[in-house]
Amino acid sequence: MSCTEIQRRLTAYLDGELDADRGSVVRGHLRECEACRLVARDEAALRDGLRTLPTLDPPPSLWAGVQAQLAAAEVADAKRPAWRRAVARWAPRAPRFAAGGLAAAAAITVLWWRAHRAPADDPSPSPSPVATLLAPVPATPAVPARGVTPAAGTDDVTADLTHDPERASTSYAQAADELVALATEARAQWSDERKVAFDTKLVELRATVDHVAEGRPRQRAWRELIRYLQGAVIRDEIALAGGAR
Amino acid sequence: MIRAATLALVCALAGTAGAEPGVVERSRVEVQPGGRAIKQIAIENPLGDVRVEGYDGNAIQIETRKQAPDDDTLDRLRVSLVPNPDGTVRITTTADPAHESPPVARGAVRIDLIVRAPRDARIDAVAGAGKLEVINMDAGGELDTASGPISVRNVAGEVMTHSVSGPTSLAQVFGSVDAQTISSNLELDTIGGERLIATASRGKIAGRRVRSREVQLTTTEGSITLEGETPLRGHMVVASLRGDLDIRLRRAGAVRIRARGAKVMLGAPAHDQPDGWVEAQIGQLSRGVNPAFIQLRSHYGIVKFSIVD
Repeated sequence: MSCTEIQRRLTAYLDGELDADRGSVVRGHLRECEACRLVARDEAALRDGLRTLPTLDPPPSLWAGVQAQLAAAEVADAKRPAWRRAVARWAPRAPRFAAGGLAAAAAITVLWWRAHRAPADDPSPSPSPVATLLAPVPATPAVPARGVTPAAGTDDVTADLTHDPERASTSYAQAADELVALATEARAQWSDERKVAFDTKLVELRATVDHVAEGRPRQRAWRELIRYLQGAVIRDEIALAGGAR
Repeated sequence: MIRAATLALVCALAGTAGAEPGVVERSRVEVQPGGRAIKQIAIENPLGDVRVEGYDGNAIQIETRKQAPDDDTLDRLRVSLVPNPDGTVRITTTADPAHESPPVARGAVRIDLIVRAPRDARIDAVAGAGKLEVINMDAGGELDTASGPISVRNVAGEVMTHSVSGPTSLAQVFGSVDAQTISSNLELDTIGGERLIATASRGKIAGRRVRSREVQLTTTEGSITLEGETPLRGHMVVASLRGDLDIRLRRAGAVRIRARGAKVMLGAPAHDQPDGWVEAQIGQLSRGVNPAFIQLRSHYGIVKFSIVD
């Protein structure tokens, strides 16, 4: 086995994922090859270093960014032609070294954040960790403006009718998302108690949306969520109820 | 749910109007109540308008108007009527799949319904882009459209309306009202009853002759104008994020007002509070009688309040 092939298998070897035969081959090669041994040592050192890092909760904004990118990637993927998605599915897996690279990148990100993070009492606004829960994936277009029959597409009427519930849900999701964005701005001035109450309720209402059937039940759930958001953001209901603002 | 009968409305009276494109078919059917009086009518018509008119009778009369580009497509349009023994009648419309005929766009077909119903039946109706209209009913209902306008007139009982982008108009409603839109306006005229809750995200709310005891109006972007009476010992919350508020009320007893906005005009001696709110009291408090409480809030808009004689 060549050095290139051995180095491609190093991460799996260090993770103990190779079967006995292949593990033995790699181990034998490392006994004789100084260059590969150095690469293996570097990789092992990086892994050990990552393990010794203290457990750290990333800021909500970091998680929100990751979620947003994932959502954007899903949207982009949904728009790709079927044949391209199929090709992507069957394409060869990226080299195992990519995992090591990603881990290193994640470690650098965390270390950078630790070095640059604001003090604990920094009053800068932090977005709600639940904000991304509401980011709608507009697989189905929203309800059109008044007077526009939602039949401008190429679907036959029968097929088009089946999309009505999703269209309404998409519209409600967009409205909810706008309100969550407003809440994210406003929460900088909220007390911790208020933030917790808001986040807890929002997660609960969002879960209801996900669990009820598409159609009127889901639209009702969206409307309830929108009402709650309007009460919290516009009427200050949490503040009024809790006396905290 | 036991179905007493299933009726498919077919062309009872067919005809083609010269001025109308394609083929038009009109039909009419009357459903007599079975063992029990008709207590609820559930209508689902995503293909056109729905008009429900209350009348002093026991039966339901349904007029159907179907429109399509050709006879084959017209045959695909269905109206089904399912009376249940519990007093519920369900009317739904749909379009059968095109097996052999070419596909037809949704905008090319239409089914409009006019339903004459016993006044004391509750209405539960859903439409898509078509108009949804309910008049002269006594048991309220729940109305839902996607982009079609909703119109409710002379209705008693609890009324709930929801629309994504269809303008909603409620007039002469005597009962609790719960109206919600996302991107359209809400008009309220002559509303009485225990409770009025109305919200619009990107639309305006305009109310006249509102006399509900508990009022809660909320918008995100749109303005709110309200003319009515102060709720006697009631509670009124009018709030917007970016819209202006213009509230004019006739007074029926003492009123305590609490307001906050980019600019606040209460039309009465007001006191600034340390928390940023402005408070005023109009009228003398009577011992043992709570005043009406009005809270007006616009985060970025102007708040204007006045008592009118």
